[in-house]
Amino acid sequence: MKNYAAKWIWQRLTAVILIPLTFWFVYQCVLLSTYEYDQIKAFFFSKINASLFFILIISMLYHAKLGNETIVEDYVTSVNLKRVTKLTISTLTYLFMILTAISLFYIINS
Amino acid sequence: MSLNRPLSPHLSIHKKVLTAVFSIFHRFTGICLSIGALLLSAWIILIALGPDYYSKFEILSSLIFFKIFLFLWTLTIFYHLYNGIRYLFWSYGKMMDLNIVYKSGYAVIILSILSTMLVWIAV
Repeated sequence: MKNYAAKWIWQRLTAVILIPLTFWFVYQCVLLSTYEYDQIKAFFFSKINASLFFILIISMLYHAKLGNETIVEDYVTSVNLKRVTKLTISTLTYLFMILTAISLFYIINS
Repeated sequence: MSLNRPLSPHLSIHKKVLTAVFSIFHRFTGICLSIGALLLSAWIILIALGPDYYSKFEILSSLIFFKIFLFLWTLTIFYHLYNGIRYLFWSYGKMMDLNIVYKSGYAVIILSILSTMLVWIAV
């Protein structure tokens, strides 16, 4: 995608989504790290918790993708290395997005 | 042609002013948090895989090293969050007076430390 204006807007849009969610999320993550497996499962059985986690992880991965691509654009001069790095970033982002979605869906329905 | 283009921000030749340090640190924390986001995804995947797989993570999470890692992650995410809010204002041309730029910069540091402490005390 060569549309840098759209990327600029999406970078900020995902940031705005992440601002309120991060406060809740950081607290929950530190708390969840002390939980047993069954307690974690119980946390994700709540549709609200699972949905917020889903929105957060997807937004975060996409925000990270855009940010990392900007850094690559700024510092990597080699055309080939730039292509390989960007491909790696995209692949990891979409792969983890899909795996997270499947996993959360599986946890809710298990 | 594109091969001979100069590197964009000439980091090494400039005096390190506060605004530049904040910007570099924003990018650095961004890269660290990207790895954190992947690890979070991996954690969700482990939960889905079941208690047998999750017990492997519990061995790791019981270490003091993991607590320190999680603490640093908290600090990093709060820094990126507060500094990011500052940049959102800048995107709309607000709060760009040099005096406010410096004051909000110090506010970012103070708020990050306070928020991190608050989360760990609350948990």
